[in-house]
Amino acid sequence: MKRLPEIRLADLSRYLESCGLVSALYPELLDHLACEVEERLWAGLSFEEALRTAISEADPETLRLLGIEHKHLLAMEQSLDDIVFEGRNQQYGAYVLRREYKRTVQRATLLGVTLFLLIFLLPNLYARLVPDPDEREFGFEVTFEDVVLIKPTVTPPPATPAPPPPAVKTVRSLPPVVLPDNQVPVDSPPPTLDELEGAQPGEATVDGLANVDIVVPPAERVVRSSETVLEVKPEAEKVHLYVEQQPTYRGGSEAMAAFLRKHLRYPHQAARVGVQGKVYVEFTVGADGTIEKARAVKGIGFGCDEEALRVVQMMPNWVPGKQAGQPVRVRFTLPIAFQLE
Amino acid sequence: MENNGNNEYVRGTIKTIVLNLLAERGRMYGYEITHEVKDRTDGEITLTFGALYPVLHKLEQEGYLETESEAVDGRLRKYYSLTTQGSETARTKTHDLARFVEAVKLLLNPPGLATD
Repeated sequence: MKRLPEIRLADLSRYLESCGLVSALYPELLDHLACEVEERLWAGLSFEEALRTAISEADPETLRLLGIEHKHLLAMEQSLDDIVFEGRNQQYGAYVLRREYKRTVQRATLLGVTLFLLIFLLPNLYARLVPDPDEREFGFEVTFEDVVLIKPTVTPPPATPAPPPPAVKTVRSLPPVVLPDNQVPVDSPPPTLDELEGAQPGEATVDGLANVDIVVPPAERVVRSSETVLEVKPEAEKVHLYVEQQPTYRGGSEAMAAFLRKHLRYPHQAARVGVQGKVYVEFTVGADGTIEKARAVKGIGFGCDEEALRVVQMMPNWVPGKQAGQPVRVRFTLPIAFQLE
Repeated sequence: MENNGNNEYVRGTIKTIVLNLLAERGRMYGYEITHEVKDRTDGEITLTFGALYPVLHKLEQEGYLETESEAVDGRLRKYYSLTTQGSETARTKTHDLARFVEAVKLLLNPPGLATD
């Protein structure tokens, strides 16, 4: 048995390489050629001759066709990547990346989904694995202590005398009293019937013609009582909030409205801003009807309050309010409306 | 070259020949196949490796053959063997070819002339 020595084998492989054989086919064809050569060697040919005959069968053209055929075969199952990278440096890395791309994406998707689910399920999982401790499993150590009862020392509050009920404001209002003659302060005693005979009641006693047509009402019989006169003090000092007869503007509300219309000026400032509303002016109507202590209780600003105050202070004297027939000081609140037209 | 005339016929039957040989012998390598064919037909049919290897590769890709490489004498030898699918195909193909050859025989040698 003659085996091809390494050197001869190298010759063969050099030949195949020179023909530009596809690497995938190379080992197989090398073996085939080597076998051919060996066979011829056994038949007694010299190596050179054997090589020549073997190669005559495997001439470069045949090898080239073989390579092309093999390539076509591969192309059927070749991917796009293999075609793109044909004849380029596949060791560079891009080829591997592209070839592995599908698998990488698959793996990444799987991993991503797994992680995502894990993140969501982790709390749930944790809760399942580590259940919340049952409240009944807790034990509490309780130590009992003697309770020292402290008797509250109740000291009754010193009996303070109940404050006297506030004096109810009362206004002295007495009905007219009939007094005995000798006790009536006589300033100008009413005229007697005799004097009125043929005369009329008037402001002064004037001697004139007696009018006969006048019917004189019958005089009332007066029952005399024995009560004494009570002094009625004028209550000018006190300011009342409400009295029997409220103070009024002299001439009535119509006159007051006219007065206000005449004197009230809409302040420029308020007019510019467009402020409207009511200014409540509080003042005291004195016993003599003067306006005092006027102030704006509730205003709308922008000069309206001041204007209302000014006009109120300009007002002539009012008819004072009366209590039990006596003029008294009364506090009065007057709303003054400012309205833009 | 005398087998040039045969090539035309070989080309159509080479697949069947290879499959049949492998079915018989179990596993073979490329040179062994050509050698075997040459031996059996007394050199009447030779498979050039330009014809053999493409067929082998094609059969391999179609899944009829499987290969294993073995290091022999400092070089890699590639052995081919049939897969189960391959042996199935080998049977039908061999059968088909045999019938075809019979038919061709009938054509070439009409019964009337066979006896002369």
